[in-house]
Parts: sequence; structure tokens; C-alpha cells
Amino acid sequence: MFSITTYFSAEALLLLLVTVVLYACLPQKARRYVLLLSSYIFFFSISGKLLAFLLFSTLSVHHIGLWLSTVQNECSISTKGLERDKRKALNAVYQKKQRRIMTFACILHIGLLVLLKYTPFFSQNINALLGLLGLQFRIPVPKFLIPIGISFYTLQAVAYLFDVYRKKIPADKNLLRLALFMSFFPQLMEGPICRYSDTAEALYEAPKMRYDNFVLGAQRILFGVMKKLVIADRLNLLIQNVYGEPTKYDGFVIALSAVGYTFQLYADFSGTMDLVIGAAQMFGINLPENFKRPFFSTTISEFWKRWHITLGTWFKDYIFFPVSMSKPMKKLTTKARKKLGNHYGPLIAGSVSLFCVWFCNGLWHGAGWNYIFFGMYHFLLILSGNITEPVVVKITQKLKINRSAFPYRCVQIIRTFILVCFGEMFFRQESLKLGFKMFGKIFTDFTLKTLKDGSFFKFGLDRHDYLIIIVSAALLFIIGILQEKGICIRSSIAKKNIAVQFAIFYALILFIIIFGAYGAGYVPLDPIYAGF
Amino acid sequence: MDERLLEILEDINPEVDFESCTTLIDDHLLDSLSIISLVAEIEEEFDITIPTVEIIPENFNSAEKLWEMITRLAEED
Repeated sequence: MFSITTYFSAEALLLLLVTVVLYACLPQKARRYVLLLSSYIFFFSISGKLLAFLLFSTLSVHHIGLWLSTVQNECSISTKGLERDKRKALNAVYQKKQRRIMTFACILHIGLLVLLKYTPFFSQNINALLGLLGLQFRIPVPKFLIPIGISFYTLQAVAYLFDVYRKKIPADKNLLRLALFMSFFPQLMEGPICRYSDTAEALYEAPKMRYDNFVLGAQRILFGVMKKLVIADRLNLLIQNVYGEPTKYDGFVIALSAVGYTFQLYADFSGTMDLVIGAAQMFGINLPENFKRPFFSTTISEFWKRWHITLGTWFKDYIFFPVSMSKPMKKLTTKARKKLGNHYGPLIAGSVSLFCVWFCNGLWHGAGWNYIFFGMYHFLLILSGNITEPVVVKITQKLKINRSAFPYRCVQIIRTFILVCFGEMFFRQESLKLGFKMFGKIFTDFTLKTLKDGSFFKFGLDRHDYLIIIVSAALLFIIGILQEKGICIRSSIAKKNIAVQFAIFYALILFIIIFGAYGAGYVPLDPIYAGF
Repeated sequence: MDERLLEILEDINPEVDFESCTTLIDDHLLDSLSIISLVAEIEEEFDITIPTVEIIPENFNSAEKLWEMITRLAEED
């Protein structure tokens, strides 16, 4: 049977190729059906009958959107020409009606996600609590099959409904356009999390395939494959060994594997995003970027504006601002500003919202205490950054330190990177207890013994592997610096003559073939973010 | 430009020339915390409600754009 497990499989590539050929050959009206059919085949080949969940979500979003629209239309007709007070009163009635619809929509969509993804976790914890209380009674722990991409498409669905509710976009009557927005196959498994206004129209328009888009898309796909096969998959043996039995290793190996995992996660996720965005570009669809050189961040807050950007902006638009702009929070801000000033006044409401964001962010990644810890860790880091900011400004001013100077920024970048690596260590280690053990070992058992006696090169990676990883990391670093300076490498390559372009193409293909970690002796990394 | 709006803005960040600056969000002169304060103050001063859908860089990048949003919301109210 035709089955897909990851984007980086022959079956996924075959589906993409067939879709590209059909898309290029068929007229516009048929192209949009090709995209939808490929999307459903893609979903079915991973999750089988669970396709029913995606179809249910699409139909429900379509219906609820139209329902909201009907209420909004009724409201504008009924309030037309009324005096201000009467208009306001009637508006409030219709607003209440819309809120009830949105509550129903959230229970339906987020409730489904919670039911499938978190019920086993909650049940296990309730049972543990019952055990602690000495009670014999246990609740059953259900096991559900989770449709692929549900965490991603549910956020898209909820965003669409909130945008209709807020009158940012009109409700879409066209079920085909909405179905395409919900299911476009390149982004279905790992995002980016798109907004209706980003992609729906372009997907429905199904623009004609263009040579330049095809070439740029193919380049981007190759770059993503390079990140995944050469870096992420190569690092996998070390990461699996160390995180599997961390007590066997000393602090140095654990610290290095923590850095390695952060780099692996970046190579895997950003590589997949290159593939996804590149595949969409082949069809002339521009998806939003999900990464913007996160390791150049000077603060944790900045890091999260550069890593998984579409998730961050989703939380900002649909949790952070709605919570901090709620009536009680606004009152709190106004009062607190008068007493605590401009910085600490709004910080109270901001911190409450930030807590909500990071609690949801942690849970979104998975049903486990390690993920909740990961969320709280970042909440505390960002909060402490906000609290200490005025003090840091005063100290640096007194010491006449230029905060925008290169050495100061370098120290900030290194500090941020170390903090991120610690966070990702807990994120990867399913057992929170083992996570703390690993953290402790870095400080209490740090020795270079394994490096001196050569045993370090027997933990999954040898000298050759490390050399390839270091060269690839250096390559990404140089590309990152150029991009930070505003140089668009792909556009620069596109301006070169065709021979140079193809030479670069072939060089990249050869690099992947020679240095990719595939075949006997390697264990390919399962798509990390697809599991969330 | 409305004096009350300029006063609110200057109170939040006295170091910025709000009459001429058009990149308040793009240049990070107003961060999330400043926006929380600003929205609360504007709503109180002008007796309007700023819905979250209006919290976009285009509306907060300059005092002029802010004023446009305030007058529009006051008319719609």
C-alpha cells in the first residue's frame, strides 16, 4: 500500500513529482482539484481513515464561519439608522450571540485536540494522584490514534474562525477554497501555521507554474534535504545513545549532546520548512517563513521571534493580546502604571498573558511534564529578562558599556544559545528526573577524559562524522551571516548564468549524496515536529 | 495631531519624537508592554474600545496612524 511516514521519503517525493507534473499540464480550474486530491492522498497515506477528522474540521469551520457571518449581517441590518445608545445595546446582544458561537467552536475544535492528545496524560496523572491519596479507584487510560498534523490544522481552523469573528476577513462561502487552506499537503504535517489571508486565495487561484518559481523551489528543497540528511540524521546516533541512557555519560558528553540536539532540532525542523516552502513555491504559493536565523538572537524573547515564527505569532495574536487586552487586565494596567511606572506597571498584565502563552506553548508541543517544564522555563527566562531590563540598562550606562557594540552582542548571543540548549535538553528528555540528572552532571561531572582516551568517538559518531557536522555548521553559519547582512543568496545565484546555477545545483546534490547519513549503519531521524 | 494622544505617548516613552517618527513598531520603540499601556490609556481617554484585530504594526507605527485609528473607531462606535 502507498504509505508515507516522512516528507523525506521516496513516496512523498513521488507524490510531489506527480502533483507537479499534473499541475503543470492541467488548466487552472483543474489545478486546484489536483492540489486538494494530492493533499487528501498525502493525509490518507499517513493517517488512513483518520482523514475523517480533517474532513470534519473543514466542514465544521466552513459552517461556523457562515453562521458567524449570518449573525453579523443580521446585526448590521438591525442596527442601521438607530440612535447610538440603542445601537450599542443591540450590538451587545449580537456580540453575545457571536461569543456563544465562538465558545461552541472552541469546545468543538480545541476540545477534539485535547481529547485525542491529552486525555491519556491527564488520566495517568489523575491515577497517580489517586494512588498518592491511597485510593484503589482508577480511571481508564484511553489510547487514541492521532490524525497527523491535528495540532497544526486546529490552530489554522481556530485562527480562521477568530478572524471571521473579529471581522478581519469575511466568512468564506467556497468550501473548496477553505478545504485547500486547511489541507495543503506540503504544510499539513509540520506547518508553517498559515492564516487564511496568507494562502487561501493563492491556493484557490492555483497560479500557472513558472520556470523561475520551479527552480527556486527546487533549490530550497535541496537545501532542506541537505540539512536533514547531512546534519540531523548524522547526529541521531549520538543523541539517541546519550538521551537513552544519560547516566552512562559524563558531563562533557552530555553538554555536547545537548548542543548537538539543539542543532539537530534546528536542522530537522528548519530543513523540513525549507522543503515545505520550496515545494509550495514550485506551485507559485508563498508560505510564511518559520525561521529567521534564531542562533543570532541576543535574548530569549528575540529567539522566539526567530524560531517557529508562525506558532509565536499565533500565540501573540490569539492568546497574548486578547488576555492582556481583556477588561480586568486593562484596569490592572492603568492602576499599576500610576503606582509602578511605565515599565513595571504593564508588566503585571503582560506576565499573566505571558504565563498563559508559555503554558499553552509547552502543552501544544506534547502531553508530558517535560513539555510543561519547557514552557515554564521560557516563561521564567523572558519574565526575568523583563524584570531586570531597567537595572541592566542603568548598570551598563554607569559602566559606559555600549549595548549595541559587537562584543556585548556576542556575549548576549552566546548566553542565549546556552540557555536555549538547556531548555531543549529538558524538551528532548522525556523523563524530567533524568533531565535534571543530565543538567546536574554537566556541572558536577565535567571531564575531558573521554576526549583524551578517544572513547568519545565511539558513542555513535566518529571523527569523520564530527568533521562533516562541523563543516556543515560552518556553512550554515556563513550563510546566516550573509543573510543577516541582507544578502539574499538564492536571488544572487539566480542572477548568475545558467552554467554557474547548475554547477551550484550539482555541487549541492553531490554534497548530499556523499555526506548524507543514510543507508546501513544510520538511523534516520523521525520527523520531530510532526509528532506534536 | 491631538495633544492628548501626544501626551499619552510621551508619558509612555519620553525619549521618542512622536510627531515625526513613523517606525515606532518597526524600530522597537514601542514594545508589547508599551502597547498594553497605550491601549489601556487611549481607551480611557477617548472612551473607545480597541479590538485586538486593530493591534497591528500599521496602526501603531506613528502617532498619525494611531490618531487615524482612534477617530475611525470613535465614528464606528
